[in-house]
Amino acid sequence: MRFAMLQNQPLTGGIVAKNLRISDNGNGELSLYGDFTITLKVLDLTTNGAPNLNSLMTFTQQVISNKLRGGGYKSGVSIHKYNENQKAFNKNKIWSYSIRYNFNFMVNVIQINMLSQLKGNDFVLAVVDTIGHQFTDQYGQIQGSAGLTQGAGWPAAVSYNSWLRNKYFGAHEFFHTLDLNDIEDGNKKNRLMYHLSDNSGHVISDAEKGDMMQYIVGNINDMAKKEYSNINLNTVSRVRIFLNKSIYAIKYNKAKFR
Amino acid sequence: MQLSIIKLSLGSLLLTLLYACSNEIKNNEDVKKKKADTCKFYRYNAGQIISNLGCKNCHIRMAIEEKDEYGAITFIGLAAMDSLKIVDYAFTKKHKGWYSKSGTFKGSKMDTLSDCEIKSVIRYIKDAGRDIPMSSQ
Repeated sequence: MRFAMLQNQPLTGGIVAKNLRISDNGNGELSLYGDFTITLKVLDLTTNGAPNLNSLMTFTQQVISNKLRGGGYKSGVSIHKYNENQKAFNKNKIWSYSIRYNFNFMVNVIQINMLSQLKGNDFVLAVVDTIGHQFTDQYGQIQGSAGLTQGAGWPAAVSYNSWLRNKYFGAHEFFHTLDLNDIEDGNKKNRLMYHLSDNSGHVISDAEKGDMMQYIVGNINDMAKKEYSNINLNTVSRVRIFLNKSIYAIKYNKAKFR
Repeated sequence: MQLSIIKLSLGSLLLTLLYACSNEIKNNEDVKKKKADTCKFYRYNAGQIISNLGCKNCHIRMAIEEKDEYGAITFIGLAAMDSLKIVDYAFTKKHKGWYSKSGTFKGSKMDTLSDCEIKSVIRYIKDAGRDIPMSSQ
């Protein structure tokens, strides 16, 4: 984790956490408390502009806030044993815990206009003209892509017209950044992470919430020490690599990519 | 009388041959069925196994380096390992014996994973180090 070098220097990044505290009930349950600020930076790279971008961003901010609200719970978690007295985890012992994530979240979805507004540990969603990438689902059907990412911690992209068609695409892509996987099961069509065209709902399961919490706390060993922000994700370099990968066939206004 | 016996014998022989031939076809079909590979990779299910095992609690997923600041191997570090080494490291030696029959996690699901589940988990880990696109439709 990256600690503030100076007392008055505010921490920045996709995840900034304050007031972190761990409580061990002595009976196999850890309760984690903390105030988190999650920030997603939206980079408009469309050729013809995105007149409804503000309302899409507001909607996405609300969805992310709603889905993260209330924290999460995960049982049977194997992790280093926590020492309540030392306020630290023992690296030489593994223990099985149930973990309650009692986190408060403030979610920011903000627009940026140039790459210089992006730092190495930011989360970013690029709004583009089109994405040509196709994939084959588990039923053997070839599908197009409205949004695209490479998963945990990576930048994501969404085509503006597709996002207008389905307002949830922005949140779907961002939850990949928080390490959730796509779903293709026919009996889970009501889930937000179901990514085929016959999606019928926007549910995030408790297990998925637990997985996102686990990703957000990252290196739990540092949690109780100080305020922290997430570590370097190499975001600036990654967004260049990602958007320009020829097999993804992402079209955007290169003049805006500066 | 002799003619009837010969006819009966020939009839029995014919029936036996027919049965043997039809049975052989059935056996061949069984062999074909057994040869079909039923182990298919589905990223979501593999992710669920990883989540339940809790691999990412210690091998942190966020890090882009192969080791964290304390020198512990990250999830990207696992992905950089040869797949056979991952099998040996995770499923054979089972983390210093923690997951062995007498270890701290003797009841862990790691001991009960099928070969297909192990293969899927290995691919999921290896994919963390590859450029695997994730689309929404």
